[in-house]
Amino acid sequence: MKKILLNMVVAVLIALWLVPLLWLIITSLKMENDVVTDHLTLFSAAPTFKNYIKALTTTPIKQWLLNSFFVASVTTVLTLFLDSTMAFVLSRMRFRGRKALYLFVLAGMMAPFESMIIQLYLEFNAFKLLNTLAAVIIPRLALPVGVFILTQFFNGIPTALEEAAYIDGASRFKVFTSIILPLGKSAMFAVAILSFIGSWNDFLWPLIAISNSAKYTVTVGIANFQGTHGTEYALIMAGAVIASIPQILIFLFFRKNIVQGIAMTGIKG
Amino acid sequence: MHLAGHTKRDIILFSAPYLLVYLVFLAFPVVYGIYLSFFDWNILSGKAFVGLRNFVQAFSDEKFKSSFFHTLQFVGLSTPILIVTGFLMALISVRPTKLGKAAESIFFLPYMFSTTVVGTLWAWLLQKNFGLVNQLLQAIGLKGVGWLTDPNVAMLSIVWATLWWTAGFNMILFSAGMKQIPDEIYESARLDGAGKFVTLTRITIPLLKDTTLLVVILQIIASFKVFGQVYVMTGGGPYGTTRVLVQYVYETGFNYFKLGYASAMSMVLFVVILVISAVQLLASKDDVQ
Amino acid sequence: MKKNRLVLALGLILIALMTVGAQKPIEISFWSLFTGGDGEFFDAMVKAFNESQNEIVMKTDTVKFTNYYTKLTAALSAKNAPDVVVMHQDRLVNYVPNGVLMQLDEYVQKANIDLSTFSPAPLNSCKFNGKLYAIPLDVHPLVMYYNKDLMAKAGVTKVPETLAELISAAKAIQDKTGAIGIAADNTTATYKAYTLTRLFMSLLMEQNVTILDASNKRANFNNAAGVKAYQALSDMVNKDKLTPKQLDYDSSVSSFKLGKAGFHFNGVWMVGGFESQSGLNFGVVQFPALLGKNAGWTGSHTLAVPVQKTTDPDRIMAVMKFIDWMTQHGEMWAKAGHIPTRTTVYSKPEFKNLPHRAEYADAVKNTFAPPATHKWPELYDAISDSLEESIALNKDAKAALDQLEKKVNDILK
Repeated sequence: MKKILLNMVVAVLIALWLVPLLWLIITSLKMENDVVTDHLTLFSAAPTFKNYIKALTTTPIKQWLLNSFFVASVTTVLTLFLDSTMAFVLSRMRFRGRKALYLFVLAGMMAPFESMIIQLYLEFNAFKLLNTLAAVIIPRLALPVGVFILTQFFNGIPTALEEAAYIDGASRFKVFTSIILPLGKSAMFAVAILSFIGSWNDFLWPLIAISNSAKYTVTVGIANFQGTHGTEYALIMAGAVIASIPQILIFLFFRKNIVQGIAMTGIKG
Repeated sequence: MHLAGHTKRDIILFSAPYLLVYLVFLAFPVVYGIYLSFFDWNILSGKAFVGLRNFVQAFSDEKFKSSFFHTLQFVGLSTPILIVTGFLMALISVRPTKLGKAAESIFFLPYMFSTTVVGTLWAWLLQKNFGLVNQLLQAIGLKGVGWLTDPNVAMLSIVWATLWWTAGFNMILFSAGMKQIPDEIYESARLDGAGKFVTLTRITIPLLKDTTLLVVILQIIASFKVFGQVYVMTGGGPYGTTRVLVQYVYETGFNYFKLGYASAMSMVLFVVILVISAVQLLASKDDVQ
Repeated sequence: MKKNRLVLALGLILIALMTVGAQKPIEISFWSLFTGGDGEFFDAMVKAFNESQNEIVMKTDTVKFTNYYTKLTAALSAKNAPDVVVMHQDRLVNYVPNGVLMQLDEYVQKANIDLSTFSPAPLNSCKFNGKLYAIPLDVHPLVMYYNKDLMAKAGVTKVPETLAELISAAKAIQDKTGAIGIAADNTTATYKAYTLTRLFMSLLMEQNVTILDASNKRANFNNAAGVKAYQALSDMVNKDKLTPKQLDYDSSVSSFKLGKAGFHFNGVWMVGGFESQSGLNFGVVQFPALLGKNAGWTGSHTLAVPVQKTTDPDRIMAVMKFIDWMTQHGEMWAKAGHIPTRTTVYSKPEFKNLPHRAEYADAVKNTFAPPATHKWPELYDAISDSLEESIALNKDAKAALDQLEKKVNDILK
């Protein structure tokens, strides 16, 4: 009896998570007239890709996807570069004020982006970078949580290999690129994933920084989609599916790394 | 590790790129925000120093007070639900069965979506006339609910969408914590004849104390920053009953162009989150070595 | 050899001179905020303008509406805005006092733009202290849509002209067809319930009362006229139940579009969308004189010229030619539903042949502009929220207007 009850809880929970996903797809495959009806129709008689075709041909969604790809990729690469070099210093160099510097960087985790939109807007206006993809990329680069993850991970890498390399006369750059980075691969990957997803899903800042619809990221574009096509639900859902395909693919291929990346923010190194 | 030369030079070379970006685009905006909050400034006119007037104004501004209250409401409603659900999900997903694996994927997948996709989808699911939820209610003979248009329900609807969206994140943190609990402990408990429920309350929950604290703090911070779902699903309505702090800052700054006032209000958010983060930092101080 | 080179050099110089003589077209830049159907019609107009002559090439850049003024304000403050911009009339007051828009009188004269061909109301609302700061491209007033089939089914033979007629017609439709009597949004969802403010302002103006006092410093509606206006709005929802509670903008529009509402209050911008709906047999008239004379809220798209770091009269003259052409070809813009501002357009066959447009073109005479205060965007939000709340909670007129008055005066303080 208890077991049945428990299984029912599990089943309900799964259904509550699965049904919205299915409804997203089902709606996107319906004709607009079958969507806005008084009576519930689970499936439309003939599934149609019309909404997808319309979304792809009459809206800039392809451009938005490209913009998002560009923004998220560049953000990820630059974040990895910046965070790993900083983490290398914090983990491997001994100098006075190191701890203070680490705390200073970690303090950045406490500054919510949401409380800086006005200042960043004015700053980017002064740099004449508003309405460029650079404006979307730059504020996300110094990712303190990335430095945290990498520093903790680097701390756990034994130093024997490096010492041997230094004795052989290797430069610090060489040690960094040929020992630390390869050994820190899994943490690097975790940071990369977090950075990519975070950048892709960022909404508030791109909403403010970008005003030309051709330069939207897809996350901002979808909000605009709803505003412009207020009542065309099937079309909006098709747009939402298109906007999410890259995310779903990433999830399918990198599920383990994503989970690991999130766990790393929580587990103490 | 003083085997390589040029230590000082290397420290500077390796840390300069990060620190430069950090200082210009993270540290500076914080300081600049504090500075701006003492001014009355619309972007086209000159700045006028007003001292603390913006802060005084904020605490007599009905809209600010209600936005702050709605934010607290969202934090208060979302935090417990998202944590309990995340924990339940973790219990389901750590089971080394096929169902456990599948459940983990299903629970986590929504987290991959952007806030606008989630908001758009839920605005549709909860749409009053043609949305799935009301159509299901009507199919079993109940009356539809104004999920997004009834002021008593709208905030709960936003919490519901948020729950669907990010509970999977908490699940991952919890299940990572659960996986760290050594099997021997469970083993010996079972030998002592402890049932599943006892194991849960006596072993799993107490041993997850640190993880739980972390999840709670992260969740509170995330909830304080809520914006996208509200922006997409209700636009702050009905009649401003779901307007949250970030949204009011956004409107004040970018629709009404009161930049100084908006900065002052965002400083309030900043301080709130600073305090919560400080609690976490103190609680886990030993780990930052 | 030498001679050949000389010829070549001369030839080159000649070619260079000729290109100068042929005059390179002036390229002017432009920002618009039109998306969707509006955007398509507007782009088509710009294209037609570019093809109509070869001195000026207009380039456009569309900006999403909610962000438009953020971007524009930043650009105006840095004096790097484009040569000409679209601006809503009610926003002009946010910019004119800061000196970021060109005063146009002199250039209008030089370009021979005949101002007497403009409808006076929209033109005058672009003047500040008697000086012209923008040229109105259109007005897009609040109008009343009605479903002809539902009216016929319910036995309503006349388009309502008074409040009593509207109520009885809507009641008949609601009782006999089951459709919504009056679809007008009263709840914020994707869009704020601005329609409430638009209706409220119109109902006040029908009684010759403006929403703010003459100085635009205080609320002006906590009086008998305000009570009548509020009561009319509240009764539709609460007493006569002709408008469902919690009706948001999207639902309001879709119910009329699907033929499930008898009457619909909205701006003229929906005309195109309704026309494309097959099976919808509708008409559209200017906002009826429910509480007195005819008066309807209106928005107006205007064309304004930002002040640049250095003023280039040639560019401004090119802009004036563009503005002249755009306003003269209002029939193209009318396809989007908007009403042209130049009276010369109304007699063009291209305009007359458009369905519906003539039915509501009269509205242009009875429009009025929102109060000229730079706090209007904030007031607009606050008034809409407050009316929405009062109607949702079925507050009586006194409580509703007291609350609204306090909110408005607090902002104006």
